[in-house]
Amino acid sequence: MKDGSDGTATDAIEIVGLDKVYGQGAGAFRALTGIDLTIRSGEFFTLLGPSGCGKTTLLRVIAGFENPTEGSVRISGEEVAHLGPNKRQVNTVFQNYALFPHMTVAQNIGFGLRMLGRSRTEVAATTAEMLRLVRMEELAQRRPAELSGGQQQRVALARALAPHPRVLLLDEPLSALDLKLRKEMQGELKRLQAETGITFVFVTHDQEEALTMSDRIAVMSAGRILQRGTPHEIYHAPTERFVADFIGDTNFLTVPVVSVEAGAAQVELPGGRTAPARLPEGARPAPGAKVTVVIRPEQARLVPPGEGEMQGEVTSSVFFGTDTHVHARLTDGQDFVLRRQNAGELADPSPGDRIGLALGDGVLRVLKD
Amino acid sequence: MARRSFEVRRIPGFGAIAILTIVLLYVPILILVTFSFNAGRSQAEWEGFSLQWYRAAFANEQVQDVSIRSLWLAIAAAGIATVLATLAALGTTRVGRFRGQTLIYALVNQPLMVPEVVTGIALLIFVASIKVATGYMGMGYLVAAHTAFCIPFAYLPIRARLETLDLNLERAAADLYASPVQAFRHITLPLLVPGIAAGFMLGFVISLDTVVITEFVKSAGQDTLPTYMLGQLRRAVTPEMNAIASLFLALSLVVVTAFFLVSRRRGA
Amino acid sequence: MRRRGGTLWNWLLSAPALLVLVLAASGPLVIVLVYSFLSPGNMGGVAWEPSTDAWFRLFFKRDIFDPEVVTWNEAHLVVFWRSVSLSLQTTAICAILGFPTAWFIATRAPHRRALWLFLITIPFWTNLLVRTFAIQELIRNTGTINSLLLRLGVIGEPIQMMYTDFAVLVGMAYVFLPLMVLPLYAAMDKLDMRLVEAGYDLYGGRLQVLRHVIFPLVKPGFVAGSILVFIPAIGAYVTPRVLGGGRTMMLGNLIELQFGQGRNWPLGSAMAMLLLIVVVAALVLYLRWANAEPEQRNG
Ligand SMILES: Nc1ncnc2c1ncn2[C@@H]1O[C@H](COP(=O)(O)OP(=O)(O)OP(=O)(O)O)[C@@H](O)[C@H]1O
Ligand SMILES: [Mg+2]
Repeated sequence: MKDGSDGTATDAIEIVGLDKVYGQGAGAFRALTGIDLTIRSGEFFTLLGPSGCGKTTLLRVIAGFENPTEGSVRISGEEVAHLGPNKRQVNTVFQNYALFPHMTVAQNIGFGLRMLGRSRTEVAATTAEMLRLVRMEELAQRRPAELSGGQQQRVALARALAPHPRVLLLDEPLSALDLKLRKEMQGELKRLQAETGITFVFVTHDQEEALTMSDRIAVMSAGRILQRGTPHEIYHAPTERFVADFIGDTNFLTVPVVSVEAGAAQVELPGGRTAPARLPEGARPAPGAKVTVVIRPEQARLVPPGEGEMQGEVTSSVFFGTDTHVHARLTDGQDFVLRRQNAGELADPSPGDRIGLALGDGVLRVLKD
Repeated sequence: MARRSFEVRRIPGFGAIAILTIVLLYVPILILVTFSFNAGRSQAEWEGFSLQWYRAAFANEQVQDVSIRSLWLAIAAAGIATVLATLAALGTTRVGRFRGQTLIYALVNQPLMVPEVVTGIALLIFVASIKVATGYMGMGYLVAAHTAFCIPFAYLPIRARLETLDLNLERAAADLYASPVQAFRHITLPLLVPGIAAGFMLGFVISLDTVVITEFVKSAGQDTLPTYMLGQLRRAVTPEMNAIASLFLALSLVVVTAFFLVSRRRGA
Repeated sequence: MRRRGGTLWNWLLSAPALLVLVLAASGPLVIVLVYSFLSPGNMGGVAWEPSTDAWFRLFFKRDIFDPEVVTWNEAHLVVFWRSVSLSLQTTAICAILGFPTAWFIATRAPHRRALWLFLITIPFWTNLLVRTFAIQELIRNTGTINSLLLRLGVIGEPIQMMYTDFAVLVGMAYVFLPLMVLPLYAAMDKLDMRLVEAGYDLYGGRLQVLRHVIFPLVKPGFVAGSILVFIPAIGAYVTPRVLGGGRTMMLGNLIELQFGQGRNWPLGSAMAMLLLIVVVAALVLYLRWANAEPEQRNG
């Protein structure tokens, strides 16, 4: 399997060869292309990508609001293509909550169970439990319009969790909240997921949110999944330029390959020194070919001129408090940004200063193509 | 596997009822228009295409007479109503609450709520006593009655338009040295034009449409097209009536289309 | 700059419109009220003698030979009942046809909606008399339906449809239907489809979502549409006159009769006031309901 899952029946969601085309003929628009995705049970899985890349579409296909044009979707091993959203054990927390305005908080939370025909006592008991879970006991009889944004968010969560679905889909649930509330709710979400053990599929275009909350992340762009993996893998071992660029700040250097070994290549850095760089799976560039390598700004250190793997001249430095960003021009004219932690009182380098740049061991990565 | 997509907006059966309803709305009208072109007198058997009923309608002096009266009555009533409604809208929009505002709203909207028959006999009684007192028998009564009836219809779109106008536009004009009159003339009024045009057209259609009030208020020889038709319907109807009705329909269609185009531009 | 709270200015601007409205719409209603408490004149008109007889005769009548014997005025009651009953039936038919129609339009692609709406609006703006006439041409004894059925041999002689309650009902439902569709559409257009999706997501079936989510949310439009249909229906004059004739009169026609052949202006005035009372009562109920809605049903 592509994402290293063993594809057992415990997988919460399996998507194979999924395509989604909106409309027909000349107006047709391909929103998803060749999506293969396995999400394990109990996982906090995040779909990350820029606006319009197809995150919501993918979620809606899983929920049953859109039909796939091609491919299959399985939930807990069961093919669901023929099932409407009301027949899938999957609940959604909508982007703008979609709370029923004509019902109280309690009625909203109990709605799913009522539709499932559960007994009055069960509905009441579960509603009370959910209210406790999201700490909203006091506000059970309020209407959605009488709640703050954060409270509405909690009700939406409780409502989707109440029927105890196999999978909870969350479409940018925090995007309408201000920064402080968002941080708070991020913690809350993690807590809820841990307490309920339900699989969460979480959509965001905020990379920091994705890195801090997820067990695994899939990075999407233009209807495709470019890379999937743990936050560490995505951050430290991006395989595509888009992924490296979208997540965190990155230096891209174009360098010639000197020699190739198993899984790594020796590349010639600007200034002539060679260094090892990890190759992406399956890539074997020919010696002499130009490749792009990436280095995160915090993976290089400032050293006196003449020392380190590369030499450069400072073009500007920007003080950020905890750290300083030093922009330099390398000997061959490529630009490089370096982040220096400001522990102790260090003078910032000035434009025109000559500097050396030391790279940590094994930090260079070659991108696909 | 041929699977049907789950459409959230679809409710089974609703589409069929909707199409049926819309068809039912049009079938009577279409039949009416079709048989206005019939060579024979039948409403069911097609005997060939002919314009004879239109020729008859155009040649009918009484029809000419009532049509012209209807048109100028509608233009006069809608015109006056639009001017009055514009003034009233300016007086009641974009101001804080003031005493008597509810009374003004109630008065303006009253013709919308009171059944036409009631207004009709009220006017009948009132006009009868004025006629006795003054001896005046002219069209003034009809113009006044239609104007009053058109005011709420003209008022609605004008007020709606006014409410969406950005007060800052006038403030900006004032900031750029426009006097209140200049600001009104160069800023407010031009922006209000779509609303005023819509108001006029609504009033025009309403006046053309009004049967009951006219029927009760008119003096002898003041028939409008609708009251003339109402009178004729009692007799044996010939397809000439279909021709007249079709022309009437065409006129409404033109005005409604114009109204739609104007109110669309308003949205843009 | 606009004069905030400049009351005099507001009144001045509104004055010309108000003058016309008072003279040609509201004012005369007061006269009707006064006339309903006077005695009938000999040749129509009124005699200036106060009397509550007109109101009494709305519902009751005295025996010709013994004025002490009071009985229900059945001729009037039949008409009142027909007016209420036909208006309610008209409202029901319009609702049953109008709800799916409005939903259908509200769920078309946004750029197509205007066109569908236009299709509803055209009949709405087509002259009421023209539309009533169109129905008459369909259903009269030598009309399209009967001629067709005769030709096909389905029936031996024409079905009498004109001048029946059925004809009036069909005619009113036909002419007032757009008044139901338009406000319903307005409400459905505002409906957030994500709420419907949430209903399905939480395991609601089609009917459950319709009943628990869609219907409560578009109810204001439904109530507005019902009021908009009921009020002109109960006050209808043209449609019952053309399609119902003398045999199936509604209140509007009965009122007119008092100013024509009946020559009892006070009675006609009292009937008009009765009609007005019914309409105002319906409106008040509606407004009260519409305003009270957000608070109630808590808990
Ligand atoms: N019903 C539709 N018909 C046609 N195109 C659609 C439809 N819904 C979405 N699209 C298109 O599909 C693409 C993906 O949309 P989607 O809503 O999945 O993006 P997203 O990743 O959720 O973006 P965002 O972060 O802005 O929410 C977009 O280009 C969008 O314009
Ligand atoms: Mg989205």
